[in-house]
This record gives sequence, structure tokens and C-alpha cells, in this order.
Amino acid sequence: MASRLERIRIGILTTAVLGLASAAWAQDIKIGIPVGLSGANSVVAPSVVQSAELAAEEINAKGGIMGKKVVLEVADDGSGAAGAQKAFDSLIFQKKVNALISMETSAARNAGLPIVTRGKTPFIYTSFYEGRSCNKYLYVNAWVPDQQVAPIVDYFAKNSNAKTYFLIGSDYAFGRGMLQFTKGYIQKKGGKVLGEEYLPMDGSDWTAIIGKLKAAKPDALITSTAGGAPNVTLTKQLRAAGINIPYGNLAVDEGTAKSMGPDAEGIFISGSYFTNIDSPKNKEFLAAMQKKFGADLKTPNDLSVPEYEGVYLYKAAVEKAGSTDADKVIAALSTVSFEGPRGKIQMNKQRHAPLTMYLGQVQKDGSIKVLETFPNVDPGAQCPNLK
Amino acid sequence: MAQILDIVTTAAILYAVAAGLLIVFGVMKIINFAHGAFLTIGGYSALIVTRLGWNPWWSLAFAVVIGVVCGAIVERLVMRPLYARPLDAILATWGLGIVVGQLITLQFGREVQFVQSPVTGAMAILGESYSEYRLILVILAVILALAMGLVLNGTKLGLQTRAVIMNENLARGLGINSGLVRFATFSIGSGLAALAGALITPLSSVDPNMGVPWLVNAFMLVLVSGMSLVSLAVSCLVLGGAQVLVSTYSDPVAGGLTIVVLAALILRFRPQGFARE
Repeated sequence: MASRLERIRIGILTTAVLGLASAAWAQDIKIGIPVGLSGANSVVAPSVVQSAELAAEEINAKGGIMGKKVVLEVADDGSGAAGAQKAFDSLIFQKKVNALISMETSAARNAGLPIVTRGKTPFIYTSFYEGRSCNKYLYVNAWVPDQQVAPIVDYFAKNSNAKTYFLIGSDYAFGRGMLQFTKGYIQKKGGKVLGEEYLPMDGSDWTAIIGKLKAAKPDALITSTAGGAPNVTLTKQLRAAGINIPYGNLAVDEGTAKSMGPDAEGIFISGSYFTNIDSPKNKEFLAAMQKKFGADLKTPNDLSVPEYEGVYLYKAAVEKAGSTDADKVIAALSTVSFEGPRGKIQMNKQRHAPLTMYLGQVQKDGSIKVLETFPNVDPGAQCPNLK
Repeated sequence: MAQILDIVTTAAILYAVAAGLLIVFGVMKIINFAHGAFLTIGGYSALIVTRLGWNPWWSLAFAVVIGVVCGAIVERLVMRPLYARPLDAILATWGLGIVVGQLITLQFGREVQFVQSPVTGAMAILGESYSEYRLILVILAVILALAMGLVLNGTKLGLQTRAVIMNENLARGLGINSGLVRFATFSIGSGLAALAGALITPLSSVDPNMGVPWLVNAFMLVLVSGMSLVSLAVSCLVLGGAQVLVSTYSDPVAGGLTIVVLAALILRFRPQGFARE
């Protein structure tokens, strides 16, 4: 029988061990995901969260990042600036996340960046966007207009002999930025832009704009709305108005195309990811997603797959830096790469990544047929002033 | 030509949205801020019909039934105890709108969803090809207006309702059960709001706050049209037309403000709005 003193000693020891163990758990690596669960992005946000969940599960099953468990903190940014301020604030200062990895609207990203700077938190932005967003703590692993617009415009000029274009977008940074670039590119190639129209982000009545489009009689139409709802309402109303000219959509992803049903058929899209990319990594990824989520699976798409790769890129950077220290991770991020469903991703071009781009067309069943492939398209000079 | 069609169809949509608000305002003398919530209920009724795989036309009837039932329950539980306190009643409708939005969020989630459209595609009219569904909306709005006119002017309930609208105390003195009239109007008004919700969803999308932007425009239209269905139609044509024209010749951002700004100006210079007296 142990003496009383011994028992107390064992008690203290046990407490200490338990305390150490819980201290180890407290040092989880927390990844913040501010994302538009409500509002315009709500159509795609669940697929983004699912991607992150799979990445975290896979990483944790293999011992986490440097032995630490990866924990996700999801916050709704309401797809806009006001919601993003709250989401970034609570993730960075209350939840004290080690990094932010997320797909968001440009409005939300721009509202969040000053908070990222203040909180000195690495931020991997995984949404395609209008380009040239530069911040010491920001990395982007999705496409910018320099990579995306050319395939569509070139294809329309070559295959539909299009000379005049009409541009429609949502009135915010992405919509205007994409169409501004598109306009410049069309003019450089000798085409003409007959009209450029915008509706507020939460607008759903495109009547007047469609009226102008019909009056202008262009050869082709290119749109760039906020992801999700505005895209669907515009497409529905275009189809109801009987618009059948070649229609390139700069902001549609596979999941959104599916939710549009038959209205989406024939839309041209250009992107870095489609589910039927024929690579072992993509098949592995799709099988793992199917296994984890089953019937609840949201179709993986060009907005959700970069999220999956973003988590792995962060893991690689932390392991290379040997710590989660923001400055060290930021320095390491451009030097690491990850072989994911979209191929090898390395964010080594002024915080952006060269990507393989595909031109596709939406089929009757919502799937996307790849018409052409453009390997390793360079993002161009996005942040020349950033060291 | 296309612009005339745009104006007429926009007016038809506005009329459908504002009609329910107008009759509730007429009888109860309060603006029903839960109108937007009933509109949302209609949108989600259409969503349920889509999910069940029924013919999308059923969503209209289904929305009316759901709207009337919800309206009847709300009238009994929330509105009736507050009839003597109109300001509190307005606040209650506002709160009710928030509650309904949250209940819908709990049940259906926050995300934007889509319903099936009963008709798709365009048809040729006046030398233009125009959205078939929007044209059908015009016909439906006209039927709605005629039906409301018939009920108000051709039935006993309509007669009693008009009596209550003109002078409630006198009507009660004459033996009209004004409580019943209020109950019927609120239920029908809610049903009409839900119907409007089901009518507009095939053009756009369904989300828990879909009613809010419509509520503001409907509110302004009711204020400028006074108490008559005819002047409501006129205000919808004039203000809706102005919205289309401003959106076309200026830009859609300004177009979104047109109805509110114009309504405020009209009320400033002609307090009775489009009403005759």
C-alpha cells in the first residue's frame, strides 16, 4: 500500500502529465476560413468548406503539421465587406488562427486585408479574382485575368468569327476588374466592345441591361458577375429573353453551372479546374471527397479545389520554415509546391501561381467538356513592388 | 418597343407585390412590415413544390394556401391583441418579419436556392422576341387586379371591407363585424404576398431575405397610391416605368433608387399621391 505522501506525489505527477498533454493540444494549428455561407457566394461556399475539411482530415491522419493537429475555424463573411470585417476580426484576434486560407468575394478580401496586416497573419487566397491585390501577408493560388480571359476571346474570334462584344458584370472589384481587362484584350486583338453594363452585387433584375444588349446586337457576350446567385439570375433571364449568341462566363464554376440546370448549356468557361481533368491526383481527390461526404458532396470546382491545395501549401511552408511564425511562413510559401488535382502548384510569380488553364463548354447534364488546354500559363506581373 | 414591354412587365411585377400590402394598409391603417416575410414564404413554397417535383404551376396555388394559413395564424396570435395600439402593431410586424426570416434560415439554410420556372424561353411579340414568363406575369397581374376589383365591388365581404376602409367606427355601428373583416383582409393580404413571392422567384432566386428589397418599393407604391387599386396600377406603371427608363438610359444602380426617390418627391408636392381626392 502506497503511503499518503506517495499518493499525493502520483497525483501531482498525473496532473502535470495531463496538463502537458492538454498544453500540447492547445497548440493545434488553427486555420481560419472566412467564407460566404450567406449571400451571393452561398452557392459555392459549402464546397469550399468541404475541400478544407478533407485536407485537414488527411493531414491529421498522417500526423498533422509537425506533429500538431490541424483545426479549422469557419466564419461566415456574408459575401461582402461588412461581414468580412467581423469574420476576419474574430478569426484573427479572438480565435487567434495561425493562417487564413479561403475563397471569398473581392469585396470581402479587400475589407479583410487591413485586418490581416494588423494581425500579421498569413493569408492564402484561393479564389480566382481580378488580379493585382498585393499585401505582405497575401498569397494567391488561383487564376487572374491575365491567365483566364485570352482563351475565351481567342476562341470566339477564331471559331465564331466574333468582332463585336457586349460585357455584363456585377458592380464590384471582381466584376469591373475582369471586364476592364477583357475590354483591353478585345481591343488589342482588333475587336470592338459595344457596351459594358453593371448591376449592384445583390441585384437580381437584369431587365434593362438585357434590353440594351438586344439593342446593341453584338456577336458575342462575356459576363463577370459575383459567383453564385447573380450569375444564375443573369443566365436565367438571358435565356428567357432568347439570347443565343456565344456566351462566355468568366465567373461560373462547375457547381454553379449545375444549379442553373438546362439554362447553362452551351456557356463557354475558362478555368484551372474541371472535375473531368484526367490525372491520377484528381481521381484520387474525387474518390476521397466522395468517400468522405457521400450524398452530401458538393461538386468540387475551380473555387473549392484551390482551397484543398492551399491547406497543403501552408503545411509545406510551415514544415520548411520549421515554425508557424508569420514572417518565416511567408518567406517559405513561394518556395514550396504541391502536386494537387490541378497539377503542380507553386506560388512563385510575385505571390501568384502559373497554372494550366482549360477552355470548356457546359454540356446538357451540367458537366464540362474541355475544348482546349493551355499548360502553365503565367500570371504576368501582378505584384512587381512586393518583396 | 422592347422598352414598352419592359415597362409593362415591371409594372405587373410591382403590382403583384404591392397589392397585398395595399389592402392590409387600407383596412388596418398599418403598414405590414412582415409583408416581405410573407413574400419570402411564397418563394419557399415554390421551392418546396420544385423539390417535390410537382408541376411548377402548382407553386402559385400552394403559395396562396400557405400564405393565407400563416396570415390567419399571425392575425389571431400577433395582430389582434394590438389593434388598439397601431404603432406597436407596426413594430410587431417588423419583428415578425425577422422571426420568419430566421425560421426559414433554420429550416432551409442561408444559401441562395433556385426554383423551376413553369415556362422557359422567349416568344415573338410586337416584332420582338421577349421572355415568355414575363409576358405571362402581365396576364396574371391583370387577372389578379380584376379578381380583387370583383371581390371588393361585387361581394358582401367586399362591401363590408370598403365600409371598414372608409369609416371603421361607423361600419361597426351599422353591425358590420370589423374584426372578421380585419381577419379576412390580413389573411388574404398575406396570401397575396406569398403569391407574389412565388411569381417572382422563377425570375431570380430564393433566399431568406429575398422579400426585403421588394418591401421597400411596395411600401412606397402603396403610400403614393392612396387607397385605390386603380391608382396602385397607375403608380406601378409610372414609377416602374421610370425605373426601367433610368436603368436603361442612366445606369441600373440609379435605377434601383428611382421608385423611392420619385415617391418621396411626389408625396412632397402632392400629399395625396395618385389618389383622386
